[in-house]
Amino acid sequence: MPRSPDLIPRRTFRKGRRLGALLRALALLVACSVARADEEPKAESATVLSSYGEVNFNFPRHGDPVADLARFVIGLEHRFDERTRMVAELEVEHAVSSKTDPGEVDVEQGYVEYAFGATFSGRAGLFLIPIGLLNENHEPTAYYGVERNFVETAIIPTTWREGGLQAIGILGSGITLQVGLTTSFDLGKWDSNSTDGQLSPLGSVHQELALAVAHGLAGHLAANWRGVPGLLLGACLFAGNGSQDVAGVPHALITLWDAHLRFAPGRLDLSALYARGTIGHTAELNALLTGPVLIPAEFAGWYVQAAYRVWSSGDRSLTPFVRYEQFNTGGSYAVLGPNPPPAPLPTQEVGTLGVNFLFAGGVVLKADVQSFPQNHDQDRLDLGLGWSF
Amino acid sequence: MILRGLSFSLLAPAAALVAPAPVFAVDYLTPEQVQSEMFSGAKTFEMRQVMLTVEQQRAVEERLGEPLRRTSYDLRLARSEGELLGVVVVDDVIGKFERITYAVGLGPDAVIRAIEILSYRESHGQEVRLPAWRRQFVGKRATSSLQVGEDIANISGATLSCTHVTQGVRRIASVVEELRSAGELE
Repeated sequence: MPRSPDLIPRRTFRKGRRLGALLRALALLVACSVARADEEPKAESATVLSSYGEVNFNFPRHGDPVADLARFVIGLEHRFDERTRMVAELEVEHAVSSKTDPGEVDVEQGYVEYAFGATFSGRAGLFLIPIGLLNENHEPTAYYGVERNFVETAIIPTTWREGGLQAIGILGSGITLQVGLTTSFDLGKWDSNSTDGQLSPLGSVHQELALAVAHGLAGHLAANWRGVPGLLLGACLFAGNGSQDVAGVPHALITLWDAHLRFAPGRLDLSALYARGTIGHTAELNALLTGPVLIPAEFAGWYVQAAYRVWSSGDRSLTPFVRYEQFNTGGSYAVLGPNPPPAPLPTQEVGTLGVNFLFAGGVVLKADVQSFPQNHDQDRLDLGLGWSF
Repeated sequence: MILRGLSFSLLAPAAALVAPAPVFAVDYLTPEQVQSEMFSGAKTFEMRQVMLTVEQQRAVEERLGEPLRRTSYDLRLARSEGELLGVVVVDDVIGKFERITYAVGLGPDAVIRAIEILSYRESHGQEVRLPAWRRQFVGKRATSSLQVGEDIANISGATLSCTHVTQGVRRIASVVEELRSAGELE
């Protein structure tokens, strides 16, 4: 059927005006709120705008190269009064979100923070769990490599957030404590006919405060020590109800903990992290599944990373890095009936060698090669562009 | 209707940006408290505003490798029985979004004696207040590198605050060194 000749121009016109209004509003926001560090500080605005994003190119040894605007995020902070602020981030992954496209739109954070004084503050809403090195600091300028590391993707489902309450204390000794009560995972979302659960067990059952089932809650406690310049030593424990008190489903406790270290005394930047998760009562849970992909009883991973800034001039710097990681998303499975327990998944190893080039105080160009000893067909070259302000 | 609704919803918060809001700040110290802590032996503090000459500005910018934000500085000269014990400069830098008010104390030889955070407004990065981090500056002067990742270690999770406070301290150290060499610190 021929299209109406006047429909196309009208739609284009409306879209154009809508886009124009959007761009004008954003330009005004940016002009009013984004302050450069080298400018004379002026009267502060109540609302500030931020953004980060990354465009990645993956060239596998075998298979099709992929180009992806992996993330585009707009952040907004608004200060209501001298003690109360709102922090939010809106993210589009993979550029286009529609029924026929791979992208998705997420509210990555949305919370209100209240400062009780110089030491203690509290948050309520949707916030990031303070686990690992990446989850709370996940902008592309903050980590090495085009893609986030596998351990903090497959074992810790970065960017992982829950809804609830959190208290924060920054003590004079350099210890930061964060304790919270939040929503938890929902094992009812486990799809035993999909391999998603093998890529990231908790990533496949997180709720992200999207009409989250809230029968079963979770708690977390994180401690980080920065008492020596350049050193960060920390750990986090999360424990929550994963079965959400569904009738006929056993109560399943999900735990995830990590210990991490970062030491950056100068040009050298060393990191190490270990993370381990468990899911309880998986024998009973797996007996309810119809497909072949079972819920693991435990999963774990670790990595070590070393970077060295070989050159810098002003706000430009060149930093090569190397990282080695091991992880297993199905480290063990519960015994099912009289048969031997399912074999654990093979442990995956990944070696990454790359370089970050930072410039303009918030833009990064990245390149790396990744080697997968268990399957060299996955070996790849990655190129990336990222920004953060 | 769609256009009107969209424009309103986006422009309303943008308009609110024009009006400054009450400052979200945790004030730890006043300038008077800081100067007394840094130079406890001082009997008087003389307030003096100095304006860099064009030549001084050029010399400082050449040393810094970047343009100066301003050429006028307020000095607090600590004295005891007429003798100059040192100078305190209070300044602001922007952390990520918000201002950080800090003070640098330098001896008559323009060597850094102490730095202190007076007010912090960001929701992250308060760790720049930690004494161990601030102690890294003690003993350094304008000829030191004074750069995060060189002679000043970063604080993980507070990179922007560390970087911008360090840049501010470096600027002040350079300005005070220039004034000292010109004999203007007496």
